[in-house]
Amino acid sequence: MGANDDGFEALLEPFYNGKKLTDPISTKEDKYQLLPAFLKVKGLVKQHIDSYNYFVEEDIKKIVQSNRMIRSDQDPNFWIEITDIRVGMPTRDDANELRDAGKHVTPQECRLRDLNYSAPVFIDIAYPRDRMRVVRKNLALCRMPVMLKSSKCYLSGANNRKMQEMQECPLDPGGYFIVGGTEKVILIQEQLSKNRVIVEKDDKGVTASVTSSTHERKSKTYVALRKDRIVLQHNILMEPIPIIIVLKAFGGMSDYDIMELVAGGDTVYQDDLLMSFDEATKAGVYTQQQALEYIGLRVKMGGARKGRTFGGPRRNPIDDGLDALTNLIIAHITIKDSDFYPKAIYIAMMVRRVLMASHNEKLVDDRDFVGNKRLELAGQLLSLLFEDLFKGFVATLKQQMEYFFKRPNRTAAYDPTGSIGVNGRGITQGLTRAIQSGNWTVKRFGMARAGVTHVLSRLSYIAALGMMTRISSQFEKTRKVSGPRALQPSQWGMLCTSDTPEGEACGLVKNLALMTHITTEAGTDAVEELIPNLISGVERIQTQTGTEMHKEGSYIIHVNGTPYALTRRPEAFAKAFKQKRRSGCVSAFVGIHINQHFSAIHIATDEGRICRPYIIVTNGKSTLKAEHLRLLQLGKVGFEDFLRNGVIEYLDVNEENDALIAISEDDITPAHTHMEIEPFTILGAVAGLIPFPHHNQSPRNTYQCAMGKQAIGAIAYNQFNRIDTLLYTSLYPQRPMVITKTIQLIHYDKLPAGQNATVVVMSYSGYDIEDALVLNKASLDRGFGACQVFRKYSVEMQKYRSGRKDRLGGPMIGEDGKPIAKHRCLDKDGLAIVGSKICQGETMILRETPVDQEAHVDGSRGSDEYRPAPVNYRIADPAIIDKVMISDTERNSQIIKVQTRQTRRPELGDKFSSRHGQKGVVGTIVEHEDMPFSDTGLVPDIIMNPHGFPSRMTVGKLFECLTGKAAVVSGHRELGFGDAFRSHPVEEMGRTLIENGFEWGGKDYFTSGITGEPHEAYLFNGPIFYQRLKHMVQDKMHSRSRGPRAVLTRQPTEGRSRDGGLRLGEMERDCLIAYGASQLLLERLMISSDATQVDICEQCGQLGYKGYCQTCKGHGKVTKMTMPYAAKLLVQELISMNVGVRMQIEDKFPDPEPALPMRPKKSVHA
Amino acid sequence: MDYDPMVMDDAESLGPVVKISQADNVRVKFELSNADLSFANSLRRVMLAEIPTIAIDLVEIEENSSVLADEFIAHRLGLIPLNAEGAESLLYSRDCDCDNYCEHCSVKLVLHAKCTGGENMSISARDLVPAGDRMHQTLGMPVIRDEDGLGPLILKLRPGQEIKLECIAKKGIAKEHAKWAPSAAIGFEYDPHNKLHHIDYWYEQDPKTEWPPSEYVDWEEPPAEGEPFDYDAVPNRFYYNVETSGPLGPDGIVTEGIKVIQQKLAGLIHELTEGEGGDNYDGPRSPEYGGGGDGFGYSTSYGGNGGNQSAWGGAGGTTPFGQTPYGGGGNTWS
Repeated sequence: MGANDDGFEALLEPFYNGKKLTDPISTKEDKYQLLPAFLKVKGLVKQHIDSYNYFVEEDIKKIVQSNRMIRSDQDPNFWIEITDIRVGMPTRDDANELRDAGKHVTPQECRLRDLNYSAPVFIDIAYPRDRMRVVRKNLALCRMPVMLKSSKCYLSGANNRKMQEMQECPLDPGGYFIVGGTEKVILIQEQLSKNRVIVEKDDKGVTASVTSSTHERKSKTYVALRKDRIVLQHNILMEPIPIIIVLKAFGGMSDYDIMELVAGGDTVYQDDLLMSFDEATKAGVYTQQQALEYIGLRVKMGGARKGRTFGGPRRNPIDDGLDALTNLIIAHITIKDSDFYPKAIYIAMMVRRVLMASHNEKLVDDRDFVGNKRLELAGQLLSLLFEDLFKGFVATLKQQMEYFFKRPNRTAAYDPTGSIGVNGRGITQGLTRAIQSGNWTVKRFGMARAGVTHVLSRLSYIAALGMMTRISSQFEKTRKVSGPRALQPSQWGMLCTSDTPEGEACGLVKNLALMTHITTEAGTDAVEELIPNLISGVERIQTQTGTEMHKEGSYIIHVNGTPYALTRRPEAFAKAFKQKRRSGCVSAFVGIHINQHFSAIHIATDEGRICRPYIIVTNGKSTLKAEHLRLLQLGKVGFEDFLRNGVIEYLDVNEENDALIAISEDDITPAHTHMEIEPFTILGAVAGLIPFPHHNQSPRNTYQCAMGKQAIGAIAYNQFNRIDTLLYTSLYPQRPMVITKTIQLIHYDKLPAGQNATVVVMSYSGYDIEDALVLNKASLDRGFGACQVFRKYSVEMQKYRSGRKDRLGGPMIGEDGKPIAKHRCLDKDGLAIVGSKICQGETMILRETPVDQEAHVDGSRGSDEYRPAPVNYRIADPAIIDKVMISDTERNSQIIKVQTRQTRRPELGDKFSSRHGQKGVVGTIVEHEDMPFSDTGLVPDIIMNPHGFPSRMTVGKLFECLTGKAAVVSGHRELGFGDAFRSHPVEEMGRTLIENGFEWGGKDYFTSGITGEPHEAYLFNGPIFYQRLKHMVQDKMHSRSRGPRAVLTRQPTEGRSRDGGLRLGEMERDCLIAYGASQLLLERLMISSDATQVDICEQCGQLGYKGYCQTCKGHGKVTKMTMPYAAKLLVQELISMNVGVRMQIEDKFPDPEPALPMRPKKSVHA
Repeated sequence: MDYDPMVMDDAESLGPVVKISQADNVRVKFELSNADLSFANSLRRVMLAEIPTIAIDLVEIEENSSVLADEFIAHRLGLIPLNAEGAESLLYSRDCDCDNYCEHCSVKLVLHAKCTGGENMSISARDLVPAGDRMHQTLGMPVIRDEDGLGPLILKLRPGQEIKLECIAKKGIAKEHAKWAPSAAIGFEYDPHNKLHHIDYWYEQDPKTEWPPSEYVDWEEPPAEGEPFDYDAVPNRFYYNVETSGPLGPDGIVTEGIKVIQQKLAGLIHELTEGEGGDNYDGPRSPEYGGGGDGFGYSTSYGGNGGNQSAWGGAGGTTPFGQTPYGGGGNTWS
């Protein structure tokens, strides 16, 4: 293995994926080899890591840059300037130089010790003292959680050996955080793009809206067509303002100018706009002053402007209006030198879009179009949070400073260094708390999002990987709109078409496809500089009038949605621009596309766009040549080189619409501009596990995507070093017989979750109905499906205010000199012995807690006694103590973790599934000799019922079986490939089978093991990769006769974990009522549940007590009766709310001996 | 051993006839004729599941610093094939007088290895060393058949890791756990030309080209053109292909299989004729009653019958009811 083995060692070998150097290369066949090259550079979770790197290296500096000066209002000569900020490498928070010399903290240590994997953040500051500028460097500000495998992580660039030294799995994707010992992922958030105009139509009319997002604030501006009049709406405005008033308020434009700016020479639009002019006239607004006043009077007080006008006098409406227009409305267009023209152009553009959409419905935007979406990644989210916290930090620093300068007699000069670390703690806490809880609160945007982070699921390697590519949408899950959930054509290649959950989040939670890249911000400066000089005839938009802008054939060039320049040669411009991009003059992730409907060229440099690489096609020929692939094979060039040399380029979703993309080299015509690198990359990592997915009914692939994450297999190379709350591993995971290229690329073949079972498709025993499986007992004896379940029990030894600590006690010794049964597993130190078997109720950690916990003011000592607070094993099935770990947390308290292990073989009712969404439980386990066998003596591991096929239409499973069988019987595992959208070699498989003495269709002669007679029909059989899913009978089976009851209602508790009862629900009750089984009903609902004896006074109908009625003050009429305790509770609760309840009792059967349960009659008096 | 097919003048009348076509130390292929299907299948089933062999059943782990869990290693140890020739001399542990295990009912193997070098170390079946008193020199030795003489891999040790354990191999049958299975796969078929129409070819155009012929087509006469279907025909000739997984030789599997059938049949006959002799008690009885050392016991489903060398099978192969039809034990077979 190579020294820098990053899991792509195959690339470094002379035999690259089975291809020799001397083999001829066909660009048609081998172009997919660009995919591993891409993944080598970008990786599967590169989006997260790129975004985090951008944040800690660049964005954080920008944030500090814009908040660098802290000036004192009290002493105008004093200021603090934050000159620089740096994020260091991760350290322990409780760093101890003696102990940690030369040893840095590893992620694994953080996981085990429940630490945060975080790095110190340093700032440099400068401030004046005695007219001198004092510079202080490397002041610790706060601690920043570090994303694994980011540039600030020790794992970045580590080779296999180093990874092993750090007890880390080399195949781990990284891209998550470790906070308090748990791995947390910040899911990718999907949002509507910011700073772009979106035109929508609803019942009220057409609306153009734009969400302006700047560092300071986020706001949404609407331009709406309401009853033929166009108005502008904004949160800060009390009512919609006629658009002409707004445009007039910008000044410098006559009515004619406004008309031209919006409508150009188009008379239809001019007529429409005329209506709006009337509005302004009606309001009496003719001049800029009047317009500003009109707006200023309608600006809401408070809100965003509260802080700035604090204490000052109410300014006049004109200033208010001016301020609103400058800073609040469409805030992302900044006003330079009081020049409102750009803003006017922008609003005019919005008005024009509204008018256009009102005439032509096709021009309404689709908010579900992927090009209108932006994905927010960890870096961006952290940046929002950090900026908010940093501003808070600056504010408190300033407050302290003012407090200092307010003091009349100061003893020393002000030194801010001390308070930096103290106040910085707020940032640390804010960051860790947000990641820990997933609640993202950014005050200045009024943003409060919950569920942003999730615990990384380590159920299987695929589950962890799948989580890293997951995208969660901001839409409400309860809303019943199909639009956002539907598969969008523009999702092609960007988002996986199969991987989405079923149920309420269906279509809202998505996953990235294999080659998707999410852009980071590229900066507009380079682009803006380039635009005027690219081709001749490009003019800045500021110098143009509306007449010129909307002239036939004029195209407005937008940079990130903002009009920037004008050209009359859009095609030439775009071509020249793309040329520049391909040659590397501008970032490869800058997108350009021409919108013919709006005569606009859009250049996008913003972050969060989804893009994907394609091979460039020029003049009907692919620019990718065989020699390129040869060089790639030799390892002389990488993906980046192809990008630089114009062989490959990234297209975002919008730019895709300008391209004609061929799927394969054969499809290329002179009109084509690009070619796919590999079609199967439209699927994501999780869907990539499925062999022959293009032969399956599509929901089956979706089911498999959900189940692949529940499969038990190998978690990671360091799985036995981990102590997770719950960890499942397989004893004998196998590489699937039929794999895909995706499997190789994501290394599922190295960390598989399943086994190649020999499956015979036939009906057997009747215990296989409804997808149940028949398993061979001998296979189970030999370890098929065997798995290990690890559970963590952890306890932190608390310290109390009395100065006492929790401690461990020794086992209690019985009369026979041996520990009592409950302490059977304990060693002398009060911890369970590794390797011992632990049964229900036995103690694993014998913790003792001091009785005296509170602080004593008078210096007295409390009780010296300790009471036991043990951690017991509560599960019915015994387990074995696997590990015991003792360590310290950051709070300097001792932490003890005990891991238990169970080894389980499949049993009746355990769940299995193939890779085609075909799940089933074990229906019966059959002796080897009773199983059907082939003429060669082959006996299946699994018998599957053929009824599973017709309605499911999982042809891919049949192909997997056939392909796998051909690979097995011929001994050529390279036959076992089932890539999506590649032609399936069924004929070749049939031939291989015949050559090896099998029937071409995969069917064989089978004999019944019971009778010895052959089965009349031939049976389809072969290896199919089966996954054992985490749902096991042992964890679910539950029964109860008597047991615990809830305190409040005295009804049986609910749920297996509380040994609860099985509910006889409403529907079951309905059945019993309908049937008339009244006594059964009474028994189930009352006697076996919460029957209780109450005293009721027949006279007043109220509850009595011990045969005495409080109301009637007498024993006379009080009788006993049985009723549900819950009913009694209801009566009492109603009484407590001042609702009187009376129960009138009468004897239904006036016998001398009345039956015990009687029906109470209730009447309520308010 | 003499594998010449039995030469008999009137085999038809004498009962089953065996014809061996191929035999080596891994597999034996033979034809059984003049027997009916149920008997042939019984033999196959017994050879798969009811021949007593020995396998590691109890592992006492003293030291295990390897990466694998104790029960994982124990499971792997159990599956290692051990030489079971002479297993009849061993008692079933449940029938033995000892408390836990002793040399009469078990074979002890020890494994002690520590990786002291700089490279990872492989521990294979060869490293299992027999220990304690043994009744038989080869019984319970790991079967090693690979070229390097290592046997199955048990586990790997990293530098510094150590494994020390004692394995107790006990006698058992594959019905209880597959580790006691002597055979790997047993091929079994009859009627290669499908004259009996027990199977129904599915084919697209021509079954002759689409279906590979059975390997035994040459053994039987193909049906003549236009031959009428014989409704009364029953299968008569059966082709076996017995492959061993190591504990016994392929011949041993067959003879042991027959022996087990004999014992089971004898047990059955004994049960049926019980009233006429033997015990005084002739009512229904539970397995416990039949046990003991009297030798005429109930045969458990696991093939045990009192633990002792039974009166039938084994050496003589004679039942109280005279010589069984299947040869006089060792005479005709070995």
